[in-house]
Amino acid sequence: MSLGLLTRSKEIRMHRPFARISALASFSIFLVAASAGVAGAQTTVTLPDTSQTTLLTATVSEQARIVVPASVSFNVSNIANSTAASAATVTIDRIVLASATKQLRISVQAAAGSFTPPAVGATTWSASDVTWNAAGWTRATGVSGVMSAVSFTQVATCDPGAADCSTTDLIFTLGAKPTVNRSGSHTLVVTWKFESIGS
Amino acid sequence: MISAFSSLGIGGWLALAAMIVTPASQTPRPMSFSATLTSIKINARPGQVVTRQFQLTLDPGQPRTHFKAKVEDWWRSQDGLQSHYAAPGTLQRSCAPWTSLNPVESAVGPGETLSIRVSVNVPRELAPGGYWCALTVDQVPDPLAAQGVGVQFVASVSTGVFVYVDPVERQATILGLRTDSDRAIVTVRNRGNAPLGIEGRVEFVSIASGKSVATIQIPRGTLLTEPSVDGDFAAALPAAPALPSGKYLVRAILDIGAAQDIGAEQELIVTRTPPPNGSSR
Repeated sequence: MSLGLLTRSKEIRMHRPFARISALASFSIFLVAASAGVAGAQTTVTLPDTSQTTLLTATVSEQARIVVPASVSFNVSNIANSTAASAATVTIDRIVLASATKQLRISVQAAAGSFTPPAVGATTWSASDVTWNAAGWTRATGVSGVMSAVSFTQVATCDPGAADCSTTDLIFTLGAKPTVNRSGSHTLVVTWKFESIGS
Repeated sequence: MISAFSSLGIGGWLALAAMIVTPASQTPRPMSFSATLTSIKINARPGQVVTRQFQLTLDPGQPRTHFKAKVEDWWRSQDGLQSHYAAPGTLQRSCAPWTSLNPVESAVGPGETLSIRVSVNVPRELAPGGYWCALTVDQVPDPLAAQGVGVQFVASVSTGVFVYVDPVERQATILGLRTDSDRAIVTVRNRGNAPLGIEGRVEFVSIASGKSVATIQIPRGTLLTEPSVDGDFAAALPAAPALPSGKYLVRAILDIGAAQDIGAEQELIVTRTPPPNGSSR
């Protein structure tokens, strides 16, 4: 329950560049003083010959490996009750991102507003009849949700700085639909979206 | 029987045996691949052409899979929970109409890598500020895969394309601070002309003692300039023993990528309650 009470609001400004310049200035002054101190007693220092060295640079892209189920099945034996699918496993590992505060987001969206029934025109489920649980995620925060065909709805967000995140108990549930009157294949295509869109 | 064995061959018998052992309803092999996720960020001049690459590698053991690539418009809901994708040009600040891909469709075998060239052709006549779009690579569904009542999954990866044309104005204002049972939420308004990468922290200072009790980090997020200029940036509160219920001076300090950080503070009563059933933590 939210109990935020707005009692006072004051904008503050943080002069971060000033702090950085100050640190740089201090360092520069130290170098000048050190140089002055050794001016009267010079010694020869052999510097490495940079012409014989090769700088090796590895440019690492932001990346991840993604493992998602190819499908989940609902064994509907009673259309008047909701039906849960077997727990699904989702794994994202080898995560490399640009900063420790950036996150990888996992979401889903249905490709159509309803399932495709076994016969044209037959009553079937809507995409929004599919829900999922928050699940127990490792190094991620899961969110329960309802399937949409309009937008990608968040399933989980990996923790900032996580090298991997996963779950083994993501459960999709198909709601009751007593008006369904055709047996056979009712199918829906759903897209797993993996986003790392950041400016 | 002998002739049947001969006609099937060893391979045929192995396949038949597999069909007997493997029920038709067995869960298909999971989809697994690796992809680059680097957002393309360009400080560009009008008329400039910039090329980048996107790569996707299918894991060994995967079946040959078709992928389609496209550039589309993208935005998030204010609470950040929904992502919307739309046709190029839906947003005024879209870079999709002048971003092209090659190839746009390809089949990838196990262990193979799909490389897509991303070309950003910045128009000569372009107002200053930020433009953005999303590069999306979709797995094409297998029409023969669906059986029974169920959901067939396909995978999709999206990364951002951000183009900045000077002069870029990075300005934002904190509109509000609030907490719920397990999160602190900072609402920010973009007052500039470009998308902002925003991250920062929220500090909780005890009103009674004047001491800082807890600090949480706001993960990096993006605040666009349309269709909404407002966005919520949230972070999980620490456990109740570290931040018990009480009255606090809550201070948010955000890095918006500008020369100055922005901040706001506000007295809030924080009430800790057990997490709802819908939360995993």
